[in-house]
Amino acid sequence: MKREHLLKIGVSGVRGVVGEFLTPSLAAAFGQAFGTYVGAGRVVLGRDTRISGPMLEHAVACGLLAAGCEVVRVGVQPTPTMQVYVKATGARGGIGITASHNPPEYNALKLFNGEGLFFNQYERAELIDLYYQSSFRQASNDEMRGIQDDPLTPPRLHIDRVLKHVGVERIRERRFRVGLDGVNGAGSEMSCRFLRDVLGCELHAIHVDPTQVFPREAEPTRESLGALRGLMLERGCDIGFAQDPDGDRLAVCVETGEVLDNDDVLALVVDAVLARTPGPVAVNLTTSSVIDDVAALHGVKVFRSPVGEANVVQAMQAQGAVIGGEGSNGGVIFPAVHACRDSYTGMAFLLDRLASSGLTASGLAGRLPRYERRSGKAAFGHGRLGPIMQRLEGLLPGAKLDRTDGLKIETPHGWIHVRASNTEPLLRFSVESRSARRAGELHALTQAVVAEPAGS
Amino acid sequence: MNERSKSLRISHAGLRGVVGNGLTAAHVLDFAAAFATFLQREGAVVVGRDPRASGVMIREGVTASLMASGRDVIDLGVVSTPVLQHSIRRLGAAGGISIGASHNAIEWNALKFFGPGGSYLSTAEAGELLDIYHLHKFDFAEWRGLGSLHRDEGAIDAYLADLASAFDFDDLRSYRVVVDCCNGTSAAILKRLNELHGFRFVLINAALDGTAFAHEPATDRRTVALQLAPLVEPLAADAGFLFDADSDRVAFASERGEPASEEMVLPMLADHLLTPKTGQLVITNLSTTALVDVVAGWHGGRVVRVPVGRQAAIDALAGYSADQVALAGEGTGAVMMPRFRFVYDGIASMLGLLSLMSARRCSLSRVLAGYPAYSVLKGTHRLSSQRVPALMMALRERFDDGAANMVDGLRVDWEDRWFHVRVSQTEPVIRVIAEQRGAPPNALFESLMDQVRSFM
Repeated sequence: MKREHLLKIGVSGVRGVVGEFLTPSLAAAFGQAFGTYVGAGRVVLGRDTRISGPMLEHAVACGLLAAGCEVVRVGVQPTPTMQVYVKATGARGGIGITASHNPPEYNALKLFNGEGLFFNQYERAELIDLYYQSSFRQASNDEMRGIQDDPLTPPRLHIDRVLKHVGVERIRERRFRVGLDGVNGAGSEMSCRFLRDVLGCELHAIHVDPTQVFPREAEPTRESLGALRGLMLERGCDIGFAQDPDGDRLAVCVETGEVLDNDDVLALVVDAVLARTPGPVAVNLTTSSVIDDVAALHGVKVFRSPVGEANVVQAMQAQGAVIGGEGSNGGVIFPAVHACRDSYTGMAFLLDRLASSGLTASGLAGRLPRYERRSGKAAFGHGRLGPIMQRLEGLLPGAKLDRTDGLKIETPHGWIHVRASNTEPLLRFSVESRSARRAGELHALTQAVVAEPAGS
Repeated sequence: MNERSKSLRISHAGLRGVVGNGLTAAHVLDFAAAFATFLQREGAVVVGRDPRASGVMIREGVTASLMASGRDVIDLGVVSTPVLQHSIRRLGAAGGISIGASHNAIEWNALKFFGPGGSYLSTAEAGELLDIYHLHKFDFAEWRGLGSLHRDEGAIDAYLADLASAFDFDDLRSYRVVVDCCNGTSAAILKRLNELHGFRFVLINAALDGTAFAHEPATDRRTVALQLAPLVEPLAADAGFLFDADSDRVAFASERGEPASEEMVLPMLADHLLTPKTGQLVITNLSTTALVDVVAGWHGGRVVRVPVGRQAAIDALAGYSADQVALAGEGTGAVMMPRFRFVYDGIASMLGLLSLMSARRCSLSRVLAGYPAYSVLKGTHRLSSQRVPALMMALRERFDDGAANMVDGLRVDWEDRWFHVRVSQTEPVIRVIAEQRGAPPNALFESLMDQVRSFM
């Protein structure tokens, strides 16, 4: 049987294929469970540009209102922008209707608490219990609140916060020529305004029509950004940015048309932040060792967490990290703006770094220590991960082991991380080494173990 | 009686309940999805609501399910049920959903369903809708095929234009009328009637406040007496009218401030509309005043009596051609006329009564004085369902000297009086009603109640 998660209710809230699986009833019930959990009060409701967004927005609004919440509808907004707005306005929480980088037939509900943070595992567990128990708060007519619309405040609040941490005038003076691929997503309009009007760039934008479907694979990767790379070369752009549909992930293309590894993007931002404010760094286990090198230059510690934004944010808060993120998937987390993955913070810091260093984007990236990275995936099977972990451990005796999230094996020449995906029925693995040969060996070794049939 | 047992009713008339206590978001979403699955014809679905605060929650849920089913939704905002029905036809829509609990208290709400042309669902259609609801198998569209939401602001104006072509507004606009809107949808309609058509109606309880009605929006003599009747004389008005929240029923008081019986609306409109040219039939239920028969007799018309409840009247109408029927209605102030495609319409009924006054060139109290007086007594008793057949048999034997009709409980008619004993469709009670020309039928009524008590 093909394992497709057409509907998944769990660690990341509700995610599924709209239609038969992610139904309006389910979205409304989840909304009502959420309203019951956070209590009667204001709840922010926004979405990305997916076709199913408006339908689900009505369903979730119905559930929230039924629980006695007041719905503040912000419309199409990037996820980080919603999160900033939830916290700044003292709302009880928020729901973002977005399946992030998943294909367009999917949609999902992202859940934010009153701090504008993703629900942690305890909050999620309690909410899911409420959902299954169907013990919802049922507001009577005189407890019913209405719907408010506030589409304009969130981008303003978010951009104002980002600008406090960069030299705006310095960036404006350079009049950078910037390429942008907005994937016709939630950030499309805001990114144009941000780069062109606020940061004074000469903008060359594609895929910035939020009324259109995604023109490319939703996740911004080297393979999916051909159009941006072409545009960059044709227009001679200094740097290019690409977002995912909900504007939390950022991919960067340098002036040569090369798309940087997300780990290197994170490393550049970490470097920029630490140069201003030294302090601890937190990243997930799959993030590159380049972060350790950058941190070492600034004399600060790096903490590792399981993969997943909520996990990284928890580690950052526990360790008082000043910067962090998920190198593997293009998420910069800068808590001074907000403790969430934020492509706008990433764009601003990179432009600021270009302005202050006088280097080209490729020159800036070229100063980072070089690592060779490989990754792979295999179909998930129940009980498969444990034997794979044991087998790898046996094959690499004496290596340093971390079992926080699957298994991370660190050898003197590189590391392997193998784990189960939180969002898809996949086993994912990554390897990294300074040497291409070593990286190839580690990849081949892991690939071979992962490919072994179960029970052999 | 346990309050909870009365708080939700799912029937051929649709979905009705106390919001929170009985009627929940889940019911709303499922019913709207069932309706979308039920609809045969392509096209949009029109949605409108009365001003109850819970109506926003319900509208969101209805909208989500309809969109998820691939139906475009046209939201009319706060409008009456007759305006909604009018717009279904005007917009060529596949059907419509009215959100509003008409004459019920503010904590209630309901969904009523209409087919193409704004028609009521027949009992067979309503049965099919219920079957789909219970089966819980809905035809949701896949993500590319979802419907979208549109707004239509012109519903009331278009409806009034239609009324203007059916009634002589030049004649009627000279009447000074005071209206108790019960904080319902009639306020919005009559405000436009004043603005657009130069009427001078004085409106009370006209604020569309969704959490507080000035009083229960019931169209009966008792409610007319509360606030409306005392104002008619001081304001030197020609008449006072009162509407339920969705404006499909009307009650009234004369220029002397005397509240009329709600039973009078149907016979007076029959008196106005029955001519040899129009249809000859009046369709009404078994509990409606015998005055209808008297009036029909004056014009050579005939009365068809059907069981109590809208559904029976709607099904009966289907058996006649439109030009055979002069009007149909109940003793509750709900009347439908062929000119308005047999839609229960309180506003049209009011204009009909004013037209009657105008045609007779006399005051409302003089018109009322022209009808023979009837006295009616009504009572209820708690139901014990098992003993109903025995009770009916006993009553039939005891009153075997009259003409019996056993279509809905038992009705027995004599020359100048009649009674009807039946089981309520809305509450677990037996209803007893007895009417007599002239003085109240006290002895008959008491013996009926004694008999009922002895069985229940």
